[in-house]
Amino acid sequence: MAAHPVEVDNTWERPGERAPLVTGGHTFASLTDTVCAVWEAPRPPRAWYVAFAISVALLAVFGAMIGYLIFNGVGVWGLNNPTGWGFDITNFVFWVGIGHAGTLISAILFLFRQKWRTSINRFAEAMTIFAVMCAGVFPGIHVGRVWLAYWLAPYPNQMAMWPQFKSPLLWDVFAVSTYATVSLLFWYVGMIPDLATFRDRAPTKFKRIIYGLLALGWTGSSRHWHRFERAYLILAALATPLVLSVHSVVSFDFAVSQLPGWHTTIFPPYFVAGAIFGGFAMVVTLAVPARALFGLKNIITLRHLENMCKIILLTGMIVGYAYGMEFFIAWYSGNPFESFIFRSRALGPYSWAYWTMIACNVLAPQLFWFKRIRTHQLAMFLVVMAVNVGMWFERFVIIVSSLSQDFLPSSWDYYRPTAVEILTLAGSFGLFFTLFLLFCRFLPMVAMAEVKTVMPHADPHAHPHAHVPATRRFDYNPDEFDQEQPA
Amino acid sequence: MAGTAQHATERRRFERGPDRLAAGAAVVGLAGLAAGVAVGPNVGWDVFFRSYLLNYCFVLSLALGALFFVMLQHLTRAGWSVALRRVAEFVAGALPWLALLFLPLLIPVLQGRPGVYKWSSPDVVAGDPLLQAKAAWLNPAFFTVRCVVYFVVWSLLAVVFVRDSVRQDATGDVGHTRRLEWWSAPGMLLFALTVTFFSFDALMSLNPHWYSTIFGVYFFSGAVVGFFALLALLVTGVQRAGALTASVTVEHYHDLGKLMFGFVVFWAYIAFSQYMLQWYANLPEETAWYFARQNDPWWRGVSLLLLLGHFVAPFLALISRFPKRRPGLLVPAALWLLAMHWLDLYYLVTPRPLGASYVPAAPLHWTDLALFVGLGGLFLAAVVRPMGRHALLPERDPRLGEALTFENI
Repeated sequence: MAAHPVEVDNTWERPGERAPLVTGGHTFASLTDTVCAVWEAPRPPRAWYVAFAISVALLAVFGAMIGYLIFNGVGVWGLNNPTGWGFDITNFVFWVGIGHAGTLISAILFLFRQKWRTSINRFAEAMTIFAVMCAGVFPGIHVGRVWLAYWLAPYPNQMAMWPQFKSPLLWDVFAVSTYATVSLLFWYVGMIPDLATFRDRAPTKFKRIIYGLLALGWTGSSRHWHRFERAYLILAALATPLVLSVHSVVSFDFAVSQLPGWHTTIFPPYFVAGAIFGGFAMVVTLAVPARALFGLKNIITLRHLENMCKIILLTGMIVGYAYGMEFFIAWYSGNPFESFIFRSRALGPYSWAYWTMIACNVLAPQLFWFKRIRTHQLAMFLVVMAVNVGMWFERFVIIVSSLSQDFLPSSWDYYRPTAVEILTLAGSFGLFFTLFLLFCRFLPMVAMAEVKTVMPHADPHAHPHAHVPATRRFDYNPDEFDQEQPA
Repeated sequence: MAGTAQHATERRRFERGPDRLAAGAAVVGLAGLAAGVAVGPNVGWDVFFRSYLLNYCFVLSLALGALFFVMLQHLTRAGWSVALRRVAEFVAGALPWLALLFLPLLIPVLQGRPGVYKWSSPDVVAGDPLLQAKAAWLNPAFFTVRCVVYFVVWSLLAVVFVRDSVRQDATGDVGHTRRLEWWSAPGMLLFALTVTFFSFDALMSLNPHWYSTIFGVYFFSGAVVGFFALLALLVTGVQRAGALTASVTVEHYHDLGKLMFGFVVFWAYIAFSQYMLQWYANLPEETAWYFARQNDPWWRGVSLLLLLGHFVAPFLALISRFPKRRPGLLVPAALWLLAMHWLDLYYLVTPRPLGASYVPAAPLHWTDLALFVGLGGLFLAAVVRPMGRHALLPERDPRLGEALTFENI
């Protein structure tokens, strides 16, 4: 491997020049070698086994909890009469939200010509798909009679039964399944050239056949590339509105009601921003350990992490803006029910959850104003962990605080999750991480073909090594750097 | 600096033309204002002030869209847009002048005219418990203070972003770029809050019982659509006048078209979110606002025209690559979108709230036209005047080379 092992700081750039997105003196060949090494290694690193064991154990817990639920009914959860939605729907919205970053990175950042997306899009998309799978479990199991969950689908039947098209719960089925389909397709189409690389490097006949089938006969001819790039652009354009529509429709589940705290017009864009916020936090959560574990630090560089921190800061403030607008309008509306529920969120029985949410979602990301934090891996990891927690609590606060204190005080009740619900939530992480770890091991984790297009070698007019100092650190002082004006 | 022989010979500065045009626009604008004031007593001063508010918000929103665009380019360290940025800076540079033009709108507030802002009238508030509950926010003194804050923030941001960019033309110092990049993040934060609360104060409080948490985003989305349309027109105008003929290419128009298209869809998304949720929940305090816009043929027509003209038609017209790369097609689309943006504000401002103390004689007035000419002319003068004083693009911006050579693939 020709790549230089020293990690260089490419987060500084002089206006007018673009910092390198791949560091360490990588060439096309060394990049392919590095990414394929994750898959070609006879065994994954020991940490992978540890993580996989924990994930599978949690996955078993997930299965056990769902089995227990199906045998005994939803009574094993802590739901009560006003609070008909608790952990189940909170987890659903949480996981759907996580599933936003991948498609945002691969579709919207693509349309915005953000070249840095190429290093992170593949595993972010994988994460998206696994998160949507986790999300899909919860509406299925919360319906009570799980064996009738297929009634959600509009199929011809003899029961004179047809799903209620006026219900956003049905729109959700369509929105999420469309999103899952397009995201899967997008992920797969983008992966075809890299699957062909795996096929060509496969050490055994079995692997060659499997990856050969997946690569759909890719030869890398100009015609293939042309078709591929067309398809990618079209899928990006189709996926972009989907990124917005899924979580907008999820927000409709709440916002079309008349319940204070649920019915407010800012919900659709606010949910989308929150989803991107939470999704990016999860991408950073996965990227920080993955790049160290698999030797990808020169491909998923500090600059990539810093950019994601900036997006987290931005979307965190959009979420904070929405919290503020809700509060202000609750007062401004003059509607006593509205102002009650918001006062109750801050001061009432669920204030502990509310302030957890504010601390994690609004206050913690403010640390990202400081470059030192945005480029310090441990610090950023702590902040994004806070965001992961905060975004779960956001959904919990919205769902539970509004339901448990509706219009009629005599029917109020305090919702307390049972151990089954808590273990189901923990178990869903098992499903997510099991799938993600398998993905890291068996599929190309970085979009090799796309990353190559943003390397200086891809530009026939560039000097291949002009921007890539392989031997010295790139952490120049910007003021000092400005003085060396080009001739 | 990248550039070809054409870049070296193209015209990047105007001489006396903009001054003449600005003077002409100012004269027309003042004549429009005078005509508006002259017909004011006939149509009623409440109608006059509503027309003024409508047309004022139209030109203000364009300048705010420009400020947003300029800050966004610095925030994202964009390269492609540098060739267009100075023209956007000229538009944003009108903000301090617009602050002066806002002053007449304080008259109906301080006079307590219930026909414009009914919460400003103590008599109305005395008979309305809901307005009493909101009086801590909706009162003339606090309204005035907030407006001063908004205009101070916008004027300062506009001055900072225009001044540093223009100074860089002389010095070539990359420090200007760094400073503006630094300012762009807190600037954007201030922008979001001030634009939101301005839209609540100036537009949403026309119907003081009604509320919508998304309203600030709605106003913003329309403003950006209008601005991109205006930018396409101004850039075409500058090129027709013989300048920037090599620097601004079809690629820039293509990107402008994409942004226009994107924000048209964004506007529709926001408008739909607000409409669908209020329609679905069907709460009287919310639907009253839409009821006033759907209960007679005229306003129903305006609503439908907005749906078709502000979304469906431009969506279909701009979706393909073809028109975006042809200024001859993009210019009519931009004109259409500007008209639709005006219609959107007309739809926000003009319908009388339910239970209003009087019935308007007609939904459109001469003052709407006169003040459109008046404020539009003065705004145009403020935008065009600096075109004669500064280069038409940031000549020594470190990223200009990227803008000159970029291509859509």
